Amino acid sequence: MRGPGLFTAHVPGTSFVHRMPLWLKLVGVLAVGAMPWVAPSVWSLALVTVALAGVVLLARLPVRRLLRSMRGLLPVLVLLLAFQWWSHDLAYAVRVVLGIVNAFVAAGVLTATTPVSDLLDGAVRAAHPLRRVVDPEVVALTLGVVVRSVPWVAGSFASVRESARARGLERDARAVVVPTVVHVVAFARATGEALAARGLTDPAEPADPDGPDDPADDAPGPGRTGSA
Amino acid sequence: MTEVRLDGATVTVPVDGSADRRTRTILGPVDLVLTERRVSVVGANGSGKSTLLRLLNGLVSPTSGAVTVDGHDTVRDGARVRRRVAFAFTDPISQLVMPTGREDVELSLRRLHRSRSDRRAAADEVLERFGLTHLADQSVYDLSGGERQLMALAVVLATDPVLLVLDEPTTLLDRRNTLRLRALLDALPQTVVLATHDLDLAAAADRTLVVDEGRVVFDGDPAGGVEHYVRLVDGP
Repeated sequence: MRGPGLFTAHVPGTSFVHRMPLWLKLVGVLAVGAMPWVAPSVWSLALVTVALAGVVLLARLPVRRLLRSMRGLLPVLVLLLAFQWWSHDLAYAVRVVLGIVNAFVAAGVLTATTPVSDLLDGAVRAAHPLRRVVDPEVVALTLGVVVRSVPWVAGSFASVRESARARGLERDARAVVVPTVVHVVAFARATGEALAARGLTDPAEPADPDGPDDPADDAPGPGRTGSA
Repeated sequence: MTEVRLDGATVTVPVDGSADRRTRTILGPVDLVLTERRVSVVGANGSGKSTLLRLLNGLVSPTSGAVTVDGHDTVRDGARVRRRVAFAFTDPISQLVMPTGREDVELSLRRLHRSRSDRRAAADEVLERFGLTHLADQSVYDLSGGERQLMALAVVLATDPVLLVLDEPTTLLDRRNTLRLRALLDALPQTVVLATHDLDLAAAADRTLVVDEGRVVFDGDPAGGVEHYVRLVDGP
């Protein structure tokens, strides 16, 4: 299954966006996400959309990939626009849709211009103050898996929809939703198993300068029980 | 030399829908000591091959009995066993959990190298060793089946385990990639235990186990093992 969009993988580059420190990019994404509350006018949100389009071009990100990502989001946006227009008014509906589009593109720019390993390092640093509550490496791993899973889930949805169309069931929501959920659960299970097999879900140990036989490695395993 | 020992290892699972908590044995009891460099496991679908392999790095714990790798119990010393035993799945796409191969190799190395630059250098070295440098920054979705399988192997071998367990590694590969994988496996210094339906691959091992209905029904030389398996499947 091919990754369908901007979230698929890091796009190497040397643009100013690529060189920007991670914290600044995160502040940018948060700022874009907060815009609908901070400056809730259609014009200010449209201005952000134009600015983001400029960032995409300046970072030399593949526009086709971005559009492919948006195509998957389009049905949801259309439904949302119609519902918000019906329940509020057109201006409100456009604001909601623009807010979502902006947040989506900003997050895509972040993941496309930042290697996942840098994102993981950033997550480890951010979670460090919480290390007594949660292992920062687990937080980073979770983030990495989420980034990797977004295109998979989108691709799975597209494949299932195609299969439903081939059977003449494109209008039957169950024919799309149920198999997608089944695929996602199977994917989650396989991913969990792969992480466990690599020891990535085992408790973190102190630095291990002597290799795998260091006595510090003697932590008990997670105690998984038998299963087929 | 790596030693894998199974002492009466048995795996049972609950019977679906049974009100009285009945269980069903899907493997065992198995008593084995594996010390050969190349061990193949053959058997029909659902025979228990995968469960047997999953016992070796603690992905599945024995319901009774014990499994040890170089004296380390897979349940009590699970973390230590998993650092020694790498596991490669049939479908590499479920194994590659990061967007690109380089990032996935770096993920494997996170606990060995805290410094980012050390980690990158180590990842580059691993990718070069497997001839995958040119694919390192491609999305894992854009790799061919054979490239994905090689990348998945590089990912799990990055930490230099002593034992590599492979569950049907050639099932999704064409003949060219199967031969490429075989050449790579032949060159590995690690002990290799693999389950396969590829009887040529099975016959190239030093020892073969045939699993049928949760039992090891043959344990011996690969030619005899393959013959036993073919007889078993084709019937009398």
